[in-house]
Amino acid sequence: MRAHHRRGPAAALAAVGAVVLLAVAACSGSAQGATGRTASGGATLAESTPLDDPRAFEGPSTAVVADAALDPVARDPKPTLPATVKDAQGTTVTVTDTSRILALDIYGSTSRIVYDLGLGDHVVGRDTSSSYAEIADKPLVTANGHELSGESILELAPTVIITDTSLGPWDVILQMRDAGIPVVVVDSHRGIDNIGGLVRQVAGALGVPDEGEKLAQRTETAVDAKIDQIAAVAPKDPADRLRIVFLYVRGQAGVYYLFGKESGADALIDAVGGVDVATEIGWDGMKPITDEGLIKAAPDVVLVMSEGLESVGGIDGLLERLPAVANTPAGEHRRIVDMDDTEVLSFGPSTADVLDALAVALYAPGPQR
Amino acid sequence: MTTTLDRPTTTAPARTRSTALFVGLALALVVLAVASAGIGQLHVAPSEVVGSILHRIGLDWGPSPAHPNGDAALWAIRFPRVVMAALVGAALATGGALMQGVFGNPLADPGVVGVSSGAAVGACTVIVLGLAFAGPWTVATMAFVGGLLTTILVYLTARENGRTEVVTLVLTGVAVNAVAGAALALLTFLGDTQAREQIVFWQLGSLNGTRWPYVAVVAPIVLLGIGGAVAVARRLDLLALGERSARHLGVDVERLRVVCLVLVALLTAGAVAFCGIIAFVGLVVPHLIRMAVGPGHRVLIPASALGGAVLLLAADLVARTAVPYADLPIGMLTALVGGPFFFWLIRRTRRSAGGWA
Amino acid sequence: MSAVLAAHGVHVRFGQARILDGVDVAVAAGELVALVGPNGAGKSTLLSVLSGDTAPDEGRVELDAADVRAMRLDELARRRAVLLQENRLSFPFPVQDVVRMGRAPWRGTAREDADDEVVARSLETADVSHLAARRFPTLSGGEKARTSFARTLAQEPGVLLLDEPTAALDIRHQEALLDEARRWARAGASVVVVLHDLTLAAAYADRVVVLDSGRVRGDGRPTDVLTGELLTDVYRYPIEVIRRPGVDELVVLPVRTAALLETR
Repeated sequence: MRAHHRRGPAAALAAVGAVVLLAVAACSGSAQGATGRTASGGATLAESTPLDDPRAFEGPSTAVVADAALDPVARDPKPTLPATVKDAQGTTVTVTDTSRILALDIYGSTSRIVYDLGLGDHVVGRDTSSSYAEIADKPLVTANGHELSGESILELAPTVIITDTSLGPWDVILQMRDAGIPVVVVDSHRGIDNIGGLVRQVAGALGVPDEGEKLAQRTETAVDAKIDQIAAVAPKDPADRLRIVFLYVRGQAGVYYLFGKESGADALIDAVGGVDVATEIGWDGMKPITDEGLIKAAPDVVLVMSEGLESVGGIDGLLERLPAVANTPAGEHRRIVDMDDTEVLSFGPSTADVLDALAVALYAPGPQR
Repeated sequence: MTTTLDRPTTTAPARTRSTALFVGLALALVVLAVASAGIGQLHVAPSEVVGSILHRIGLDWGPSPAHPNGDAALWAIRFPRVVMAALVGAALATGGALMQGVFGNPLADPGVVGVSSGAAVGACTVIVLGLAFAGPWTVATMAFVGGLLTTILVYLTARENGRTEVVTLVLTGVAVNAVAGAALALLTFLGDTQAREQIVFWQLGSLNGTRWPYVAVVAPIVLLGIGGAVAVARRLDLLALGERSARHLGVDVERLRVVCLVLVALLTAGAVAFCGIIAFVGLVVPHLIRMAVGPGHRVLIPASALGGAVLLLAADLVARTAVPYADLPIGMLTALVGGPFFFWLIRRTRRSAGGWA
Repeated sequence: MSAVLAAHGVHVRFGQARILDGVDVAVAAGELVALVGPNGAGKSTLLSVLSGDTAPDEGRVELDAADVRAMRLDELARRRAVLLQENRLSFPFPVQDVVRMGRAPWRGTAREDADDEVVARSLETADVSHLAARRFPTLSGGEKARTSFARTLAQEPGVLLLDEPTAALDIRHQEALLDEARRWARAGASVVVVLHDLTLAAAYADRVVVLDSGRVRGDGRPTDVLTGELLTDVYRYPIEVIRRPGVDELVVLPVRTAALLETR
């Protein structure tokens, strides 16, 4: 073998890229198994003693919902079919059969709503974000993490698909329409303001508007009540409120994003009585962080998703990889709050519980982990 | 001197070899298409595949797919994908053959030389900026423009006195790929999450999510390109003699070059418009065909089209089935095979040409 | 004799340098003209202008009284063939396919039917029939040259322009090639051959044109033009022209006396 080869750089890049991609494919393939059941059994705000000065607390905490079990508003409701709705994109869709339902989105909230409406028995498959006990055994239709697999969906022979635009590729959704399956697209925006709206959309598509109204009102009432409850515990003076950023961190490759306006994180942080730093600095959507911006913003608490935190090597790993965080008050006090990926931004029927768990982690975290 | 002249032996064995090649490739294409349509998560037997097609055209022969969604899976997912794979493979291979003919160099391939990434930049601009000035044809149009611009750039930079030096060609390709990469990075930054995902997918290449409307856009583009390529095939042979000698034989070299470059841009646009960057097909297929039946373009061009279709169909089949529930990026697969092949080709060309020709 | 191919007052400049400085050359049907001169005299440039490749800065070239630059390429290809010095081929075509390329200008005409026959004949004439199936890049320099010659023959041109066709050939093939060129001329074609070997030029040419620094220094029969005086002047080296004993042939030789070698 000769020592010197004149290599085509394109080829070398391709070869390296190929190896990386194989690794990624393998990793994302195995990541499916990691999503187990939703954690449960955390303390509730009502039974916890809030701190005098949440800012002074040192150390991380994990937000865990008190009870992850579902609580349907009806048992085996009878849908009024056919149901004709105009979906969030303006398409008129007629649903004639709700015996085999697929509700898919990146947050896992639509499937949750279907279960809470009492139609859980008719759900035939799940997305990666739906990992609560009742649905965990159903077949997965998203390959590679969050990518929809048309063939998996078709294999399950659904009679109606409910989704928003958060899962792609969009072409797969269109292929399902081509195949003759009614697809109802609901709002992809997640926030405190439209929880009820989302519930009503899903219920309308499935022909159970009354149950939907019941669930929507129950959820809205619970959320409003929870926000008031939290407000009572959180610092009154805006200057004393916790400054919170929501970071998306994943893996060793240095992918770090800041959740900004319209991502749902802003509504979440507002609801738990914190100051949404991203909105303050005018951050839109989900974009990569700049170190200076983060340090200047000086957050008191950093909110992350549990699996993401694990993938960067825990708190120590996060502080090591993101020196910018380490130089913020949050980093100095190791004030990192993590919560299950599938719960924290879902804004589904369990929103009140999620807010409660977060409030506990922020204001009454208990002994250090 | 001989009085009786034996007919030159061009014809007999060479012609049987090319006929055998065409028949073989066509057969492989049909078999692979039927098999590929049936294999996947939703399994459909080959007989059911054929049956489904026959039923659709009105002949009630053969069994219908057993699974209730089998027919739907075939017509909504598999068949569009199979047709697209064949079209894209044919386009890439023909584009490669044309590129090699025009530059007189077996190492010229739209991907290596940066044309595909130029077309990708065009397509991604549409995605990020949300342009729609030509409806469903917008992406393909901008891909064509992007591909044409990079083609012109490569052509102007790499040619000199009718010859292109390999080194200049590769360096131009590196430069173009670098600039296109930068442009794609910028677009990635500017785009929202959904656009970003689509751009990443461009750089990997995928046939996932192919639907009939996309096939309807790509098919006429590709067929036009291949038709044009077949029409100029003869004259490409003459280009091998060098620009001056080709002119002496009546070839308007400049015009031929321009026509070929437009065709390459067209074919690359069709290939890249919906499926992203898939490299090395244009390098591997024409080379294999040349090894089998020689460099004559009258056979090379159509055989490359067929060969490319077969290759990409096979690659797509592997991409869909190699890892369960996963859809491997097809560009990665072709690079895995094509990359080492490129290495080998460089060494071999160097050895036979006695250095860089 | 009316000229088939004629250059009138051709000037070609490259920056300040005058490559061709007012050249008038004419070739009639049935003539073989040898174009000779030292390196840099402008022979290849003149051939390029005659073939229509290069546009002269001044003057014109006419083929059958029509301006060569104004003629359509395919029409021109049917009238004249050019053999260049370089024999490159981008792809490994077999010899017979290379020769067949010479038939390209006749595609779509009635003469296309004779393709196979013409190709076979050309292969035979250039003595490369036995190499018909061999791939071009595997040939020796001389074999490549002969193959290219066969290709120009296959074109069946009325005008044949050959740029140093004998450079890579051995004696036998040199003679064979020029013999064939002369046969074409006798059959009515106009042939221009650029040659370095002055003896060969003397032997085969009907007329010799001596070019020096872009100007025509001599144009006429070999015996008239190829004189020791003119050649010594043009080539800036002592040359003598002698008659071959017993045969009516000129032999052009450099003068290599011991005295001269010492003074160098």
